[in-house]
Amino acid sequence: MKKQHIASTVFTIAALVLSSCGKKPPQDSTDAGASSAPTSGVPLSTELPPELIEGTPKPMDVPNLVQAPVKAPELLVPEGTTLISQGKPVTGSEESPLIGELSMVTDGDKQAGEGYYVELSSGTQWVQIDLGQSAEVAAVWVWHFHSQKRAYNDVVIQVSDDAEFKTGVSTIYNNDYDDSSKLGKGSDSPYVESRFGMLVDAKGAKGRYVRLHSQGNTSDEMNHYIEVEVYGKTL
Amino acid sequence: MKMETSVISRRDFIGKAAGGIGAGLVLGAPNILRAAQGEASDKIHVALVGFGKQGKVLFDAMSNIPGLHFQAVCDIWDYNLKGGIAKVRALQGHTPKGYADIDEMLATEKGLDAAIVATPDFWHSPHTVKCLEAGLHVYCEKMMANTIEGARAMVRAMEKTGKLCQIGHQRRSNPRYRFTLEQLIKGNRICGQIVNINGQWNRAVSSSQDIGYNPKLAIKPEVLARYGFKDMHQFMNWRTYRDLSGGPISDLGAHQIDIFNWFLGVPPKSVFASGGNDYFKTREHFDNVMTIFDYETPQGGVRAFYQVLTTTSAGGGYYESFMGTEATIQISERSAFTNIYRESSAPSWDGLVSRGFLKRQAAAPKAQSADAIASYESAAPEAYALPGDLSKPPHQPHLENFFDAVRGKAALTCDARHAFESEAPIYWVNPSALSRQPINLTAEHLSV
Repeated sequence: MKKQHIASTVFTIAALVLSSCGKKPPQDSTDAGASSAPTSGVPLSTELPPELIEGTPKPMDVPNLVQAPVKAPELLVPEGTTLISQGKPVTGSEESPLIGELSMVTDGDKQAGEGYYVELSSGTQWVQIDLGQSAEVAAVWVWHFHSQKRAYNDVVIQVSDDAEFKTGVSTIYNNDYDDSSKLGKGSDSPYVESRFGMLVDAKGAKGRYVRLHSQGNTSDEMNHYIEVEVYGKTL
Repeated sequence: MKMETSVISRRDFIGKAAGGIGAGLVLGAPNILRAAQGEASDKIHVALVGFGKQGKVLFDAMSNIPGLHFQAVCDIWDYNLKGGIAKVRALQGHTPKGYADIDEMLATEKGLDAAIVATPDFWHSPHTVKCLEAGLHVYCEKMMANTIEGARAMVRAMEKTGKLCQIGHQRRSNPRYRFTLEQLIKGNRICGQIVNINGQWNRAVSSSQDIGYNPKLAIKPEVLARYGFKDMHQFMNWRTYRDLSGGPISDLGAHQIDIFNWFLGVPPKSVFASGGNDYFKTREHFDNVMTIFDYETPQGGVRAFYQVLTTTSAGGGYYESFMGTEATIQISERSAFTNIYRESSAPSWDGLVSRGFLKRQAAAPKAQSADAIASYESAAPEAYALPGDLSKPPHQPHLENFFDAVRGKAALTCDARHAFESEAPIYWVNPSALSRQPINLTAEHLSV
C-alpha cells in the first residue's frame, strides 16, 4: 500500500510537469477490471449495467487496493467462446440467503438497485454455478455489488469437476493475501467494485463447477452477488 | 435552552475508542437527562420498525450488542421484511414475527420492551407516538419528523408516557465528539473564544442518484397508497419529496447542525438560507443549500455557515469546524477529516500533548512560498490530532446508550426533548431558502 501510494504520488507530479510541457502523460495503470491480458484471441464483451451509486462511501482500509476502473475491462478469449452460465443452477454455502435468491447470480440482470442482489451471511461464504457439463473456462466476470464503492475481502474463484471442490481444483483468482479463508494465500489485488465488474482470465481451466468465495466487504460483514458470468466452451 | 451532557475523561475516551469497555460505561447520568427506572432484565425484547437501508445499518450495529432479543420485524415491503426476518434468524437462531402493519404488530406482540423506528421521516412521528403509547421505549432515527409539529408530538408523547425516546443523532454518543466537547472545548478552553463555525456535507452527484429497484418486486399500488406513497419511485426516494422529508438539509445537515447547537449549548437567534435545484431539476427538494446561523453565547456572538451539496464531493467531505481565537477544531464522524489547529499566538499545548489529550501531527507546511506574498499571510497553524479513535460502527455507541438507559444504567444522550431543541432551527432552513428571507428565531419557532 505504501509503495503504491508513493509511486502514485510521483506519477502525479510527473504528469503535471509533462502536461505543462505539452506531452501526453502515461496512462494510470491502477484501474481494476481484467486480471491479466492475453495477446491473442477475440475481445470479450458484455452488456454493462448503468452506474447507480448511493450515499457516502465508507473508508476502505485495504492494502494494495486497486481503484475502480473508468472503462470496461478488456480481455482476449479463444474464438468460439460463449456465455455458458446464464440461467444455470446456483447453490451456496447457505441454502437460504439473507436477501434475494441464489438464482439471481445467473439471471442476467446486473443492475445495482434493491432487489437485484443476493446477500449471504458474514464469514467466508460461497456461491457455486453448475454449468451442466464440464467446460473449458475462458473467463469469469463477476459483479458483487456496485451501488456503493466497496471492496470484498478474500475473493477466491475456483473451477473444478468435483461439486465438493475436494479434488481437481483450479484457482483462477485469489486476493486472500493473508489466507484468512484457509483456501491458500493469493497474490491478486483487492479491488473496488464498480459497474464494470471484475473480469478474470480463467486461462482455459477445465471443470463443470465454478465456485466464488468471499469474506465480507469494507462496508459491512456480508457477502453479495449481483451477477456472475462464466465464458468458455463446453466439452 | 441549555444543552448538557455527561463528562468523558481522557482515559474514558481512549478506553472507549479502543473498544475496551462494557456498554454500561458509555455514559454517566446527568440529572437533566432521562433514564428508565428499575427496568433491568436479562433480555430486552425489541421490535424493528422499518427494515430499509437505515434499518439494516442500525440492525448491523445492534448485532454487536449483547442482551437483545429481536422479537418482531415490521416493514410494508415484503422484500425488506423477508430480509429482516432472515437476518434476525441468522443472528439469534430463531425466527422473529413479521408484520407489514405496525398497528397489527403492536396489537399482537406481547412483552415488547423497545422499538427501533427506521421508517421514512414522515412516518417517524406517528410510529414513535404509537410505540410510546403502547408502552415501549423508542429509538427513532433522525430527523425526528418531516414537520416541526410532528417532532413536537414526539416530545409530548415521551413526556406523557414516561417512556424513553432516543433520537438517532448518533454523534451525541460518539466518544470523539464527547471528548472534544467536554475535555478540549469546555475543560481546557482550547479554542479560546469560538467566533465562527463552518460545516459541510459534500456528496458526489454520482452518490446522490435516485435509488433503483427491481420492478418485479414492486409493492402493490393499493398498499403504497395506504401508507402514503403515490408510487414505487416515491417509496424508494422519499427523501427527495417535500411532503415526506426535509431534504438534504434534514437528511445530512441535521447531523451536523445538531453538533453546532450541542457544542455551543444554545440555539441560533436567526437563520438565513439559500438553496436551489441546480442539477437535479425535477426533485422537489433543493439539491444544494447554504445556510448562515447567528448565535449569541455567553462568550459572545458566533456566526455559523453550513452547506449541504449533493452535486460534488470536492472540498473535504463532511465535517464541522469550530473556529476560535486560539484554535480550530475540525471534527467529523470520519477520523480522516478530524484535526485540531493551534493558532501561532495561542499558549503552548505541550502540556496537553504530554498528558495525552492531543497528539502532535507532522509539521505544518511553511506559510511562505514562491507563489505567496508573505505580508498577506498568517503563520500556518500547527496541526494536532485526538489521542484515540472509534473502533465500532458509528451508530453502536448511541444504541448502546439507549439500551443502557432502558436497563436503568445510563441516561439518554439525545432524548426527544433535547433533540427537538437542537433540531427546531433546522425546520426553518427550507422556509428561509424558499422565501429568500432571514428568519429571526423566537420561542414560538423553537419551543414545544
